[in-house]
Amino acid sequence: MARLEESQELLFLSSLLTHTVYAQGGGAQAAIVDFVADITALYPQVTGVLVRTGKRTAPVYIPLASLEIQEKFFVLAEGFDRYTEPYRRKQTDILLREAFLDRQIVDTNGAKIRRVNDLQLLHAKGSLYLVHVDVGFRGLMRRVGLLRLTDSLLNALFDYELSDHFISWRFVQPLASPDLIRLTLSTEKLSRMHPADLADIIEDLDIHQRNAVFQSLDVETAADALEETDSKIQISLIEDLETAAASDILEEMSQSEAADLLGDLPEETAEEILREMEQDVADDMKELLAHVEDVSGGMMTTSVLSFSPSTTVQEVFAALRESAENTDFIYYLYVVNENNHLAGVVSLRELFAAPPDSRLIEIMHERVVTVHIDDTKENIADIFSKYGVIALPVVDDDMEMRGAIIFKNLLEAVAPHLG
Amino acid sequence: MSGKKLLKRLGSVGAAVRGGRRRWWAATAMFFALLGPGIITSNVDNDAGGITTYSLAGAEYGMQLLWTLIPITIALVIIQEMCSRMGVVSGKGLSDLIRERFGARITFYLMIGLFLTNLGNTVSEFAGVAASLELFGVSRYVSVPVAAIFVWWLIVKGTYKSIEKIFLAACVFYVSYIISGFMVKPDWAQAWHGLVRPSMNVNSASITMILGLVGTTIAPWMQFYLQSSIVDKGIKIEQYGYTKVDVVVGSVTVNVIAFFIILLCAFTLHQHNIKIETARDAALALKPLAGQYCFYLFAFGLLNASLFAASILPLSSAYTICEAFGWEASLNKKFAEAPMFYGIYSLMILLGAGVILLPNIPLISIMYYSQVINGIVLPVILTFMIVLINDRSIMGDYVNGKVLNTVSWATVIVLAVLSLALVVTSIM
Repeated sequence: MARLEESQELLFLSSLLTHTVYAQGGGAQAAIVDFVADITALYPQVTGVLVRTGKRTAPVYIPLASLEIQEKFFVLAEGFDRYTEPYRRKQTDILLREAFLDRQIVDTNGAKIRRVNDLQLLHAKGSLYLVHVDVGFRGLMRRVGLLRLTDSLLNALFDYELSDHFISWRFVQPLASPDLIRLTLSTEKLSRMHPADLADIIEDLDIHQRNAVFQSLDVETAADALEETDSKIQISLIEDLETAAASDILEEMSQSEAADLLGDLPEETAEEILREMEQDVADDMKELLAHVEDVSGGMMTTSVLSFSPSTTVQEVFAALRESAENTDFIYYLYVVNENNHLAGVVSLRELFAAPPDSRLIEIMHERVVTVHIDDTKENIADIFSKYGVIALPVVDDDMEMRGAIIFKNLLEAVAPHLG
Repeated sequence: MSGKKLLKRLGSVGAAVRGGRRRWWAATAMFFALLGPGIITSNVDNDAGGITTYSLAGAEYGMQLLWTLIPITIALVIIQEMCSRMGVVSGKGLSDLIRERFGARITFYLMIGLFLTNLGNTVSEFAGVAASLELFGVSRYVSVPVAAIFVWWLIVKGTYKSIEKIFLAACVFYVSYIISGFMVKPDWAQAWHGLVRPSMNVNSASITMILGLVGTTIAPWMQFYLQSSIVDKGIKIEQYGYTKVDVVVGSVTVNVIAFFIILLCAFTLHQHNIKIETARDAALALKPLAGQYCFYLFAFGLLNASLFAASILPLSSAYTICEAFGWEASLNKKFAEAPMFYGIYSLMILLGAGVILLPNIPLISIMYYSQVINGIVLPVILTFMIVLINDRSIMGDYVNGKVLNTVSWATVIVLAVLSLALVVTSIM
């Protein structure tokens, strides 16, 4: 039998699992239960093998260092007598078969949930590293034992070469158990996905995985993802959180989204979350909650910037620098007089073009298109399409400015009707 | 999304004081919100194959096999309860659990078996469409393609959810069997006798019939469908009590209707020695209620049942299989994004409807024998279910108790023995 130790090769977990462990000199043998790897490494490195020496005994751990990998089996340098202690899992251990084989993972590159058919391990210099996850049809057929039949059938009938579908470990987020999710999410693979993709993934997960994934995200990512999530699932995610954590996430969301969500929650939960929030945010929320959802008041955000007419461009820039990050909408700056009456509007583009010491009253447009706080979404949609703006200020009966509707928020309200 | 007059609601402190009354309302509202998966599954269960099998049982064996409905009801309740419990506790579908617990190879062959079984059922639904509309003189070469396109459009265009309620409401047609059942003034003593005194002839025909009765009432696809519906609803373990009621109500309803179909066919057909060879014969059972219009009543009931089930079966199969293999499965995706899902779905409708268009296909036999196949496949699916539900790593403290295990294993053994007996008696 050729020794493979010096060369590099890729091995499938499914075939490694069929190997037997023999003690040096023959005699005793044991069946492999699973492979233990260190999850903290960039590519998880196999540290040892779990074997079962008798039918009823608990699995024992044998370090990979004591084993020599042959083509069809492992050879153990000493006898099995040294290994009698039942295996105790370490914090950083991951069992490859248990965690991956036939389980679901998130492919963070393709933004999809996939099922693992096999794992591909790199064998180099006596070490084994997890490098690829096999999610392809060939992998499935290999497991079923019909790979050769499938390949030749497809080739003969359709002249088609089925290709493998591997995902690099760098883009794999395991999902097997909530513990595993918490342990592995620190690698932040999920946080690098687009929030909309992440939301799709969260919607597709089962309820336990969903909560575990969501609760392992940092507040900012969680808020971004939550905004894109279906409202039913939003509710179940929030209800599973501690009140404090929930209010942190809601504060991070855009106002109108957060208000919609609060409005959908059971009143006791909503009340608790509001109590936990910072006072000014909570007040804004209550203001928004007072309106029915499909009129202006329900779609608007109060998180926009407004200034008095005498403010200079320079001062506006200073204020922008300070609050742009936490403001829902900054591309229009509203000019209001002392009664909070809307006097004009300036776009960000105009602001850049204006001399730094000019006052807003000199550069603003006085004819501003507004919507009333009780206007319905149909009306608002008409106004948006007529004037081609990206946000509309909302005023009440006394012409006082109350907030603004961003086109995106209207789109969410009307999109279902567009088919 | 509902309106959000939260402030007003926040203000109503009084509401909390009137707690007692509100809690009663809340419980009722909760029940209706969670009501559904069990009752819907049961109503889909009374499909073309179901109506046909019950009719045949009554026409050929009279009241002799009524007793089988009692153990069937018990088994159905227990099996459906296990499914919904698995759905609630694990949050996963049945094929998902099977794949994770039993691995790729077993799952692969099981899914092929399930595909073929479900295909048989789909064929029987289109047979139901053909049979029911032939009563109106519509050729099957017209009705079946139209039905296939209708089902396709319903699901792919996303209008199914709104139509589902119409289908459900139309299930009221079944009440006509119950009314007719009372109108014919059957010999209740004889019915009671048939219900409580088990008897059967040991020959391949009556074994086939019992397998068909079991297979149509406890169809394998139902378990996958029910568990997925429960998972989709996101029912939590604290609300599980309501789901139990839902499952029991659904299971009992199916069997009450089955009882009356058998009773009626026994009284109107068996006693007059009429053998069911076409849907026309089966429609005669409704003559006491509807007189000369019995054909119409029967035809509407059968058509509704067939279309209802034909909408769900191919879809449920596609979901089940894609879930097991991790293929993209969603009606919100385009064909190119979820080719396997749409492929399986389309193939089922195409083959299901296509078979019916072959010349000289006997519709009644197709509907009947597809249910017998259900009965033969059922113990296999059940075995997987029992192993899964006793696995503490999946179910935690919600594993089966001793009684449940005994009854469910007994069901498996009885079904396996019946299947074997069928093979033996048909060889002899």
